[in-house]
Amino acid sequence: MSKVYIKSVGLVPVGEHWNKSLTDLMVEASLNALKNAGNVKIDRIIVGNMMSGYLNNQEHLGALLASALGMKGIDSLKVEAACGSGGMAVHEGYVSIKSGEFENVLVVGVEKMKDADTSVLTKALAMAESAEFTQVVGASFISLNALLMKMYMNRYNVQEDHLDIFPVIAHKNAVTAPHAQFKKAFTIEDVKRSPYIAEPIRLLSSAPSSDGAAAVLLSSKPADVEILASEVSTNELMLSQRENPLKFEATEKAFKKAVEKSGIDSSKVDFLEIHDAFPIVAALSLEAMGYSEEGKAAHDAAKGKYNFEGDLPILTFGGLKARGHPVGGTGVYQVAEAYMQLSGTAGKNQVQGAKVGVTQNVGGIDTTSIVHIMRKVS
Amino acid sequence: MRLNSAILGYGAYVPKYRISTEEIARIWFGEGSGPNRMKAVASYDEDALTMAYEAASIALKMAKYPEIEAILVGSESKPYAVKPMGSILSDIFGFNKILGVDLEFACKGGTEAVQMISGMITSGVIKHGLAIGSDTAQGRPADDLEYTAASGAGAVVLGQPNGNEIAKITHSVTFVTDTPDFWRRPKEHYPTHLGRFTGEPAYFTHIMSSVKLLFEETGYKPSDFNYAIFHQPNPKFPVEVGKRLGFTDEQLKPGLLNDELGNSYSANTLVALNAVLDVSKPGDKILLSSFGSGAGSDTFVIEVVSKPDDDDYIPLREKLKKYVEIDYATYSKWRNKIIR
Amino acid sequence: MIPIAYWRNRKLYTRLIGSRCKKCGAEYYPPVKVCKKCGSTEIEEKEMLKTGTIVSFTKLTEPPVDFKDYAPIYLAMIRLDNGILVLGQLADAESEEIKIGARVMATIRKWTEDGQSGIIYYGYKFKII
Repeated sequence: MSKVYIKSVGLVPVGEHWNKSLTDLMVEASLNALKNAGNVKIDRIIVGNMMSGYLNNQEHLGALLASALGMKGIDSLKVEAACGSGGMAVHEGYVSIKSGEFENVLVVGVEKMKDADTSVLTKALAMAESAEFTQVVGASFISLNALLMKMYMNRYNVQEDHLDIFPVIAHKNAVTAPHAQFKKAFTIEDVKRSPYIAEPIRLLSSAPSSDGAAAVLLSSKPADVEILASEVSTNELMLSQRENPLKFEATEKAFKKAVEKSGIDSSKVDFLEIHDAFPIVAALSLEAMGYSEEGKAAHDAAKGKYNFEGDLPILTFGGLKARGHPVGGTGVYQVAEAYMQLSGTAGKNQVQGAKVGVTQNVGGIDTTSIVHIMRKVS
Repeated sequence: MRLNSAILGYGAYVPKYRISTEEIARIWFGEGSGPNRMKAVASYDEDALTMAYEAASIALKMAKYPEIEAILVGSESKPYAVKPMGSILSDIFGFNKILGVDLEFACKGGTEAVQMISGMITSGVIKHGLAIGSDTAQGRPADDLEYTAASGAGAVVLGQPNGNEIAKITHSVTFVTDTPDFWRRPKEHYPTHLGRFTGEPAYFTHIMSSVKLLFEETGYKPSDFNYAIFHQPNPKFPVEVGKRLGFTDEQLKPGLLNDELGNSYSANTLVALNAVLDVSKPGDKILLSSFGSGAGSDTFVIEVVSKPDDDDYIPLREKLKKYVEIDYATYSKWRNKIIR
Repeated sequence: MIPIAYWRNRKLYTRLIGSRCKKCGAEYYPPVKVCKKCGSTEIEEKEMLKTGTIVSFTKLTEPPVDFKDYAPIYLAMIRLDNGILVLGQLADAESEEIKIGARVMATIRKWTEDGQSGIIYYGYKFKII
């Protein structure tokens, strides 16, 4: 089977792009990646996106992007796995090349969120869980995470401010990240001064809504970075249907499979791009991957383990919280950021001597988890 | 008319929230209060249907869930102008071989339901029926009615007497005329009334005529009853009409609720009946007389047979001790009085 | 909310009708077609118990668009007395009485409505007892 390399990446800075459409964002990211790759002939396009139908009245993004790039005739499609759509698009790109059917696959993750009213966006994001049994009772996606966070606090006797260390880490790292939405550091005290959206989740402990697109060009031809493993696992769709909601089983399984397939010792990972949509998701993800014991992620973070200078840097460009969270784009941004770290092009955010990186992107609350393990090709 | 039906279960629901009439007066007149201290206000997610469900759930449990063949809901604040609460409730309670329909006669829709279901049981057409009165009554802001127009629901499960029932309904009469004391045209949010005309020609004339008709038909006199319940549009009228008819304060007092709850329209006398059944003893006789604007009055003779057999049942006045007072702004938001 | 989808599920929403696996006895709300524990497809209707305990709760100040008028809304995870975890709103909730471990009972309230002319959607909410 073919090996899978990342030939190039292309990013649109995450933010509020009032002057750019869904298509503009995808095209800009794609052209950046294509330019960075040099002369490469693409034979497949995979677009990761969650909400274009509901928010932008637009589906059929595969053909849309192929057409916009002047590539009519190409095999092109959209994949969707809620907030994990981007990671899933990379996974599909990986599988495409691994199978030997394709040589160069352009993977683009995009979300155009800022055209929508907040309450409409809130409804769209809730579509990650059940329309018939979650949305009907008025639950938003944030409120589900709030319920989970309170269960966690109650179970492990952890306080809200302990968990708010994760947004603080994210924002500190984003200060020097050129493509981040918020290049501003803040403290736990600042988080505490912001209003609750769904107690115990506050405005500043919640990932923003963003416009953005990222592209990665995957290739069977050797390049600077190799994807060693791309694994997906799913959990019960609804949080309330899980035996133990505090266990991120999908992340645990996907990570375990990825570690096995890559042959990498998980303690040798140099940095981690996790899905820090909310502090609770960051904590449970680190615990599911075994980097912290159950109930101890915030404690480890407080001791500096996950700082940029710590044993295992996380969110090296600010993560979902500070780089921004253009939902379907996020998983592709993560892989692109890992590429930047491993190819030595991370600038001021460079993790020195980075050889192995992991990305973890989830759809829903760990409902779909996509884990990638990448290495620097020496 | 002679009736032969039995109350197998009863229940009332009063929402948790109250607004004081001082608070209403503060907004519109700067000071003062209404004839009553408070009125019950349904929360933003309650309506005549949800309250009917609550009251009926209590009554059905007490009656041990017999197979219900008719649900009649009296209301002047139906959530749908067209689409009955009777059918929605039938489906919720799982009774589909049923007559499920709504009735409207201002404040006497609830007792009409009792009368009609009792008639069907007496004639042998059905074995068990559920009669409900439920309203989220609306008074026009700043109108006198705003002090009293309140929310609530009352329900009774009726069946055939067998000696183990809670009470028997033995007689009922109705007196009706065309009297324009209070009405609401289609698509109007608030009713209109003719002020003091709602008193003598309407309330007093109809209740007194109906009660006297019952006395003539049955030979009963006020002293034959342990309790008397008259429709309570305010705290004063039921006491006054009782006095005119020859009833004493002791007969009236256990059922008087307007001062703390206001007037829950179609639910009014059924909620009061609940309070009286909570304290009455086997062998007691209750006279109940409702009033509906437009206008008419239904009067009943109810004989208490036994106390309810339901360990979880909480008497109404016990439940009423727990309430939360809200301000006029909250009331306005919840009851849809703010233009947006 | 979609009126016809609501109609299909009305008994699930108002009576908490879930399901039970005839083979292993596992119970579910919402109902399932395939048992998640033993894989059996022999499933029967089962009405859930209407009482339970608060496992977690939150006060939501920015609800989805259909629920915007009702903010703030109190949401809770309830462990029903037959062991099933259910997500639902708390009715008539005052902040000070909402606690993990508080006992609740299901009732029926308005979930939302399609404006002044549309369908009113009724469904379960939990009251603290």
